Order: sequence, then C-alpha cells, then structure tokens
Amino acid sequence: MNCAILLLIALTTPSWGKDLEAFPNLNLNDPHSVKEATRVLEEELKLAARPHTYVLIDLARNTIHIKGRGVELHHMPIVQWSVGSWEKLTGIHRLVARPQVVRRKIEPGKGDEQEPISLTDMPADYDLSFASGLTINVVPLAEKGNLAQGIAFMGKAWWRRLKNWTSTIGTDQPSTSAAQLEITVSVDHAQSLAWSLVDGMAVLIRRSADH
Amino acid sequence: MGRVLLACAAVTCLLVLIATAPDTRPVASASPQVVHRPVVQDGPGLRALQAKYKTLSKQLSQLKPSQPYILVDTARNRLYVKHQGEVVLDAIASTGSGTILDKPGDDSSQWIFDTPRGEFLVQSKLTKPTWIKPDWAFVEEGLGVPKNAAERAEPGVLGDYALGFGKGYFIHGTLYTRLLGKNVTHGCIRLNDTDLKGVYTLARVGTPIMIF
Repeated sequence: MNCAILLLIALTTPSWGKDLEAFPNLNLNDPHSVKEATRVLEEELKLAARPHTYVLIDLARNTIHIKGRGVELHHMPIVQWSVGSWEKLTGIHRLVARPQVVRRKIEPGKGDEQEPISLTDMPADYDLSFASGLTINVVPLAEKGNLAQGIAFMGKAWWRRLKNWTSTIGTDQPSTSAAQLEITVSVDHAQSLAWSLVDGMAVLIRRSADH
Repeated sequence: MGRVLLACAAVTCLLVLIATAPDTRPVASASPQVVHRPVVQDGPGLRALQAKYKTLSKQLSQLKPSQPYILVDTARNRLYVKHQGEVVLDAIASTGSGTILDKPGDDSSQWIFDTPRGEFLVQSKLTKPTWIKPDWAFVEEGLGVPKNAAERAEPGVLGDYALGFGKGYFIHGTLYTRLLGKNVTHGCIRLNDTDLKGVYTLARVGTPIMIF
C-alpha cells in the first residue's frame, strides 16, 4: 500500500528536470551566471504574472525571446552585440519610443485595392528608447553579396558610434558608460522584432557571463 | 588650390576620426562564448543561489498555462493550439491589416485595424454566428451607417463557428480563403472551415489566447 502511494507521488510530482529550468544551458557551478539568472527570473516573474507579452534579450544565449506567462512565443538569434554599461541593463525597461510604422489609409468605397501592411514594411535599422534611459540600437546584418546594403549599414553604424563618441567629449563621462545596447540581427529578424513591439512593452536583459 | 587642399585635409581628418572613433564597449559575436573562469567549489553561497534559481524557475513554470492555449503570430499569420509545449493544431490565418480609416465627421479620430497583442481569454463560443456589421464596415464601403439595427445583420460570412475574445474581436471563418496567410482583416482572426472547427473543439470558454 505504502509502495503504491510512493509510486503515485513519484509519478504525479514533477521532478526537477530540464523542462523546469528557465535557462537550460546555465552553468550551475558558476555563481556569477546563477546570480544573473536569478536576478532575471525575479524580474520575469513580475512580468509573467500579468496578461501582457514581454521581451527577454538574452545576451548569454544570443537570442531575443518574445514571451507571455513565461511561455516562449517566438525567438530570434542575435548575430552580435555590444554594450555601453553593464550596470544600466538591469531592471525592467519600458519601451517609450518604437520605430514608426507607415500605415496605409483606406479610401472609402475602394474595396480590396488598398494594400495592407506586412513584415517587409517594417524598418530594419532603428533605435528603441526606454523610460529607464536605455537605448537599444537594432542594426541589420547586410544580406550576403549585397555590397551597397553592407556599405549603407556600416556607414550608419560608424555615424552612430561617432555621434556617441563626440557626445562624451568634454565631459567626465567615458564613452563606455552609456546606457546603450547595440544588437545586430538579420534584416528579417529586425523587421520581425519591430512588428512585435508595442508601446509600453517591457524588456528584460540577461547579461552574459563576462559582465 | 589652397581651398582644395584644405577641403582634402578636412575630409581626411574626418575619415581618420571615424576610423579611430573608440568603441571600447564589450562586444560579443553569436559564436559560442568560452569564458575562462576558475571553477568555483560548491559552497553554502553557491548552494543557496542554486536553490533560489530552482525555486524561481519552478515558480515561472507554474505560471505557464496548464491547459491548451491558442497562440497567434500576426506577423506570419499563423495560429497554433499548444498544450504543454506541443503543437496540437497549426493553421494559416489572416490577421489585422494595420490600415487606418478616418471616422466621418471627426477629423481627429480614426479606426486602426490591428489585431490586438497580448493575452486574452476565450469569452464566448458561438455556432452559426451572424455578423453584426459595425460602423466602419459601412464607412469603408462608402455607405451611410444605417439607423435600423436589423440592417446590420449579415449571416453566413463568419463560417460555422466564432470564438469571441473581447471588444468585438473574434476568431471566425471566412469566405475569402485565398487571402489566408495575409494581413487583411479589421482585427479579427480568420481561419478556414477545418481549422476553425478544430480550434472550436479544442478551446473552451477561459482558454488563453496569446497574440504577438
């Protein structure tokens, strides 16, 4: 009888498995990584308790996750990233300015002639501003063989860096202290991210192990 | 000649400035990172951290829907019914067009035809639904808005079933199946007859709908 009860408990109680882990590849022997994962989880629990979608930018796994109730709804890979100041990435960041979407206006009586917007109408190179002061620069990766696109994207990135650098000239603030994250993703993923963002959306950032 | 030389010198200086602009921020590529760090021996501090991490992970896991839920990807026009991480139903849908329509007689107000994003719940399940045409449906067609409510009823255009998720938004069928996979609706989510029946069968009032 006791054996049957124990077997029933064993079968019905979820064991501590990989499926329960929020970050499956986390090195549990690295206190820095576990501490960071714990910090992010504490923040995520607040967001997952509410009926809103949110974004987790995971710099340890180089991925962007769109989530709701702790469930991953969609994810996209990050090609590369760079960060101004690690300390300023903590906390929940509320989106205050997202890329502009040019909407088409329906002309009454014209029926199906008006084209809807689609993913390809979304911008690929844009900045996201947050109430916390953080700025995320989303930089698209040029498609292979598209030299003109590559030069244009590189030119914009240089210009942005130059602006950031010149803004620190004459101040005590080193250029590395900016609350800024630059993430490079494919053009498709940059457009997909722009599509998925809504005003006031919460963004969490998990810092990589070397923070 | 002097001006040309000066201009050349200025351009050269600018290029040098751009090329040497310091970017000392930490940079990482998506290739697997190897962080060399001394192996930390298991200690009470680390064990406490591990225990906290496991507890929080479990708490997050408990917030995930335990029952089947509907997931809608408006960018790719797909609807999934998922249960415990597994896809139970995968359907091509049509979602909001993102277009705008001016409200007549009000210059500052307009309708925006987006499918709402976030988490919703199935609030109603209807069979043989009749579409009660809202004002925008008449305005879009260039018609006047009728005063008689009976003129708004249009049966047979929403398919056999409809699942309401609030504020007049529904998952329903369509006569325009050739437009499935495109952003063409006024905010509702359209499916073909087979997928609609599947969703109607799997979902019940209270089933979560996550839309992104």
